[in-house]
Amino acid sequence: MVKQAPLFLLVLILVIFVTGIGLQQTACAESENDYYRLVPIMTPKAQTESRAENWKPAPGDLVLEVSGLAVLDDRRVAVAIRKGEIWILDGVYDEPPKNVTYKRFATALHEPLGLIWKDGAFYTVQRSELTRIRDTDGDGTADEYLTVAKGWGVTGHYHEYAYGPELDYAGNLWLTLNIGLGLNKDQKTRAVTDPTLGFSQGRWRGWGMKCTPEGKLIPVCAGMRSPSGLGANRAGDMFYTDQQGNWVATNSLHHMREGAFFHHVEALASMNLEGSPIHGIKNIPNGLPFPEAIKRMPQLKPPAVWFPYKKAGQSATDIMLDNSGGKFGPFDGQFFVGEFTQASMQRVFLEKVEDEYQGACFPFREGFASAVLRMDQGTDGSVFVGLTNRGWSSLGTASYGLERLVWTGKTPFEIKEMRALPDGFELVFTQPVDPQTAADPNSYKMKSYTYTYHSSYGSDEILNKDLTFENITVSEDGLNVRLKVKGLRELYVHELQAEGVKNKAGQTLLHPQAYYTLNRIPKK
Amino acid sequence: MSWPLNRTLTGLLLLIATNSAYCETSAAPFVSGFDRFARHAEIEPQTGGKLLISELSCTACHQTQRPDLQPKRGPRLTGVGDRLQRKWINDYLASPHSTKVGTTMPDLLHNLPENKKQQTIKALTAFLMAQHAEFPTIKATGANPVPHEFWKKGNVDLGQELYHKIGCVACHEPDEAYEPGETKISPTDKMLSQLDPEEIKELGLAATVRPVNSVPHGNLPAKYTRKALTFFLLDPELSRPAGRMPNLKLKAVEAADIAAYLLRNQTEANAVSDTSNNAALIAEGQKLFTGLKCVNCHEVQNRKPEQYAKPLAELNAQATHGCLGKAQKDVPYNPLDQQQRTAIQQALDSLSQENNSEPKQQLAFQMLQLNCYACHEREKLGGVGFNRKPYFETANHIDLGDEGRIPPTLTGIGYKLQKKWLAKVLNGKGDIRFHMQARMPVFPEKQVTSLPDRFENADQSQKPQQDEKVFPDHEKLASSGRIMLETGCIQCHPIRGESMPGVVGTDLGDVTNRVHAKWFREFLLDPGALKPRTRMPTFFPDGKSQNKALLDGDVDRQIASLWSYLKAGPKQPLPEKILAEKSKNYELVPETRPIILRTFMQEAGTHAIAVGFPEKVHFAFDAEQVRPAIAWKGRFLDAQGTWFIRFAPPAIPLGETPVLFPAGAPFALLKDKNQPWPVSAPDQDDVQFRGYRVDAAGIPTFLYRYQQFEIEDRLEVTEKQTLKRQLKIKNNHSSGAPGTLWFRGLTGKTLKPLNPGTMQNQAGLSVSISKPLAKAGELRTNDKETDWIIPVPAADNTTIEVTYQW
Repeated sequence: MVKQAPLFLLVLILVIFVTGIGLQQTACAESENDYYRLVPIMTPKAQTESRAENWKPAPGDLVLEVSGLAVLDDRRVAVAIRKGEIWILDGVYDEPPKNVTYKRFATALHEPLGLIWKDGAFYTVQRSELTRIRDTDGDGTADEYLTVAKGWGVTGHYHEYAYGPELDYAGNLWLTLNIGLGLNKDQKTRAVTDPTLGFSQGRWRGWGMKCTPEGKLIPVCAGMRSPSGLGANRAGDMFYTDQQGNWVATNSLHHMREGAFFHHVEALASMNLEGSPIHGIKNIPNGLPFPEAIKRMPQLKPPAVWFPYKKAGQSATDIMLDNSGGKFGPFDGQFFVGEFTQASMQRVFLEKVEDEYQGACFPFREGFASAVLRMDQGTDGSVFVGLTNRGWSSLGTASYGLERLVWTGKTPFEIKEMRALPDGFELVFTQPVDPQTAADPNSYKMKSYTYTYHSSYGSDEILNKDLTFENITVSEDGLNVRLKVKGLRELYVHELQAEGVKNKAGQTLLHPQAYYTLNRIPKK
Repeated sequence: MSWPLNRTLTGLLLLIATNSAYCETSAAPFVSGFDRFARHAEIEPQTGGKLLISELSCTACHQTQRPDLQPKRGPRLTGVGDRLQRKWINDYLASPHSTKVGTTMPDLLHNLPENKKQQTIKALTAFLMAQHAEFPTIKATGANPVPHEFWKKGNVDLGQELYHKIGCVACHEPDEAYEPGETKISPTDKMLSQLDPEEIKELGLAATVRPVNSVPHGNLPAKYTRKALTFFLLDPELSRPAGRMPNLKLKAVEAADIAAYLLRNQTEANAVSDTSNNAALIAEGQKLFTGLKCVNCHEVQNRKPEQYAKPLAELNAQATHGCLGKAQKDVPYNPLDQQQRTAIQQALDSLSQENNSEPKQQLAFQMLQLNCYACHEREKLGGVGFNRKPYFETANHIDLGDEGRIPPTLTGIGYKLQKKWLAKVLNGKGDIRFHMQARMPVFPEKQVTSLPDRFENADQSQKPQQDEKVFPDHEKLASSGRIMLETGCIQCHPIRGESMPGVVGTDLGDVTNRVHAKWFREFLLDPGALKPRTRMPTFFPDGKSQNKALLDGDVDRQIASLWSYLKAGPKQPLPEKILAEKSKNYELVPETRPIILRTFMQEAGTHAIAVGFPEKVHFAFDAEQVRPAIAWKGRFLDAQGTWFIRFAPPAIPLGETPVLFPAGAPFALLKDKNQPWPVSAPDQDDVQFRGYRVDAAGIPTFLYRYQQFEIEDRLEVTEKQTLKRQLKIKNNHSSGAPGTLWFRGLTGKTLKPLNPGTMQNQAGLSVSISKPLAKAGELRTNDKETDWIIPVPAADNTTIEVTYQW
């Protein structure tokens, strides 16, 4: 025993020593949290798991399953929740947010899935209508629920979620409508059927619509499956995200414009209704590679961005424009896209090539407490993140709630932009790169692939091709790198891994991945 | 602190750790069942010997037909070049028993001359490192998050927590630095921990408190890459088909967390896999792999063994040369200790004398092989080791006694559980103890497919009876069973996912598909007799019922009624108390003001707006057809489906005496009074719903537009439980369409005027309108339906008051 004591002591000392070093290392390591930190505001855990048949929330009145988020000012946000209420939360910017007050403003909404505040009123899309909600007597609770627009089919199928609204510069309110999945007999009595294609769905199901300031509801574009997020960019163009499933190869971001058809064919049940801007689709190119399908079906428009499955999330949700002018870090003007299953967020850079949007997505932040469904930017540039995972599943420790994502003021080393060139790509970094690693072709790996357009659930990445670099040039200021790439393919996703690139401080990229959807190769 | 120094320190630490392991453990192969039971004479020595024969895979070379003694064999080596590190393979081949203390792999190269040994190792390593196979793709769905390259994202702390909570430490070493959460130790255990070893021995409890040794991990950081270990944990069967390491049903991120924890000391440098390629060396290794009989235990490239040793039956237990002796030329070397050697000898001796062993023994032997005993006690053998019990916890540390945290006993399990349920449990689909942190793992199907039969054969003295035999005529008793459940069961058990507040326990909703009727009956009569120390109380002390009123206090029929009720499933409503509890949470009860709920309703459609009043008269407005659709009295609605159920079921009126309002819009412009009431198609919004306003009393006024008419429609409840409806019609003549505006007061198969302003239909709904207005009304019958229509005066503003009574 006596003999062993010094040995034991030595071990003890070493343990303490090594643990200490370990801690230091963790502090030094780059992590998303060093640049964007999360402030939980309310993150409860339900009594049952997210898919339980008899789902039960955490005890308490307020079941903050955030389905709509509207920042009101520098103290308050309004939150729509899935059970059908709007709450006003005061003190949400406090750190720590321990004095937040919660006040119920509106009730009796049918699963509202969006919220904006405009001209003294809330607007939300419920299952069956777009509603304007006001407090006319000033007692702090709503007393007027006016129908702004309705008329889309509601067969009663649970999957017929309706999302929105989002506002464009012209004052139009945009909304999107889920496809119903396998209607029963009763639900079919409320459906419309296209006489040529035979698809049966509720009216305008799978469509994006806009409501004009005069209150006219106009079908704009079709082919959506589960379009749970809408958002306008700085130019005022409206986008939506879709989620992988039948006909939808992987999650995607689409520019909503008149007459565009995106993927889910059952939306064509409404093709021949009055007001439809889509006509004449007679055959569906089921089972072809997406680029080939587009050739056969001129109405089919490629997404501005594909989010490769798992790599860039599993179920894209809300779209938020960083409109903070730099208060949220170096990505002003870019889109942030919520992610349900992986409780995370992607970032999107878009550019216009020949008048059509395309661009790249990048992993941005993971580790939210639950599924990210809604986002809205606070007056200080921080981002409120609304969570709820009921019905599906997500990573994270909570079942629903609200968090705030705050930029720490430190600039992460990231690929800020990825632009298409006639012969490759230009990368714009957030910090000057180390010219040696950035000019080294071994610092990069690139491949391209596409998807199968088919009625099955999701698609593998097909027609994979590894790409090589003919030339790499680094700009003098170290912020731009031009990759000359052999064998670009239009309509393919070009996946870049820039694991070897370092900045001047020798750090690698916080996220070395970028996924560019090259719909068109620019001519110049 | 600079890197090299840091690394040196880590190395030192590892060295010390390894050294201390040497001091404590012998190099003898570790087989749980042998170590825990045979060493302490708790099983017969020849059983221990047989266990070694299968677990050390002796029969991979010494073949036998006996199914119980088939070799465990080693891991499948397909793709091993992508899984293990070159240096580790090299070291392991050079000295298996020091590289992985306790390994069950014999040393096959021990007697080679040093240079030949080095060359052999080099060749075998080259061959193994050339084995490549892609890792499986883990399917991600909306219900299964699989982050990109999840194996890189494991969290050490979460991994440590999982490792110590879900059952890994039933077999493997816990971390001394980890402190299990606060768990209530059972009084027996508490007493035992206070006794000294002598006393324990005297009490005959040595086995109960004896620490259980761990299945050694070896040096995992030196062996695996993080990716490989993560994928191994996700599906151990893939590389270890014998299932000695079962599948703990980990999610991708959980496997990554545990791998991160187990490899927490791994430095990046040694996790890089090697891809050097030397065709000649690989070919040589391939030859050696078969020649040295590695292939007898390890599957790779579908290679088949070419040579075997003397069959098991022909072995001479007392031979001085061979595997059991000291290390000898051309014989695999296992550093067996004396006890192991003797046990194998006794087993070999007994083989010739032994006839087919009893079913009970066969079962016990299989449980030893699969080490079920690590978690489960059966017939006084095994169970979670005394030193491991603190790691077994309930979710949120709810105190349910040991039976809430420790895996259940398997004594009599074939008597208790139905065979098909046992099979389900073994297939990983029988989780019912959601309060228990430990997980029942899944074993390879091949390894456990015989177990349900064996349990039944071992534990049932006769064939289990159909429940009709145990509970004759029970079907009629279901409704009594529903009441019986309230006498106690629901205080601890949920029924079909619903429960009294705070109740955590096994759900009884499915119990008739799990347990045998006979067991159910006996257990209820005397729980302690079948399950010692259970917290389940006796509801029938001395076999007598406490409830004399129900079924005449007849115990047999009372128990039968419970079975009957539970067997009926959703055909029977939940117990009243649970329903009351449920409605406390979700039933909308208007107390001082009306409550509004937008929802789906059978009678009011998919645009329903239900309004409940404190006066206990309620109605639902159909905002699609734009009309009140249904009214009822009594209780209002349950909102659970609308608020929280994913499949959005329609809300069902909870009250009584529902009455339906006329279908279609309340107003229509008719060219003449004989024109049938227009039916609006779903795509024609003849009437536009414009929303509603809520007044100070909380009552909504619905707004809609029809042609040139703006209509406000308000319904309130009077003290007499009638519905008073006020319709304000504003006529914007400017955009006038031709015709007279009619209001449809009532429809029905037959309509009966009660007085000049009141009409009643066959359903008992009567409608009153002011006499002057009603005077101009028309009764018309069209297609077996009669309706009562009233013309609206062509004034700019008209108000109509209507009263509904039933």
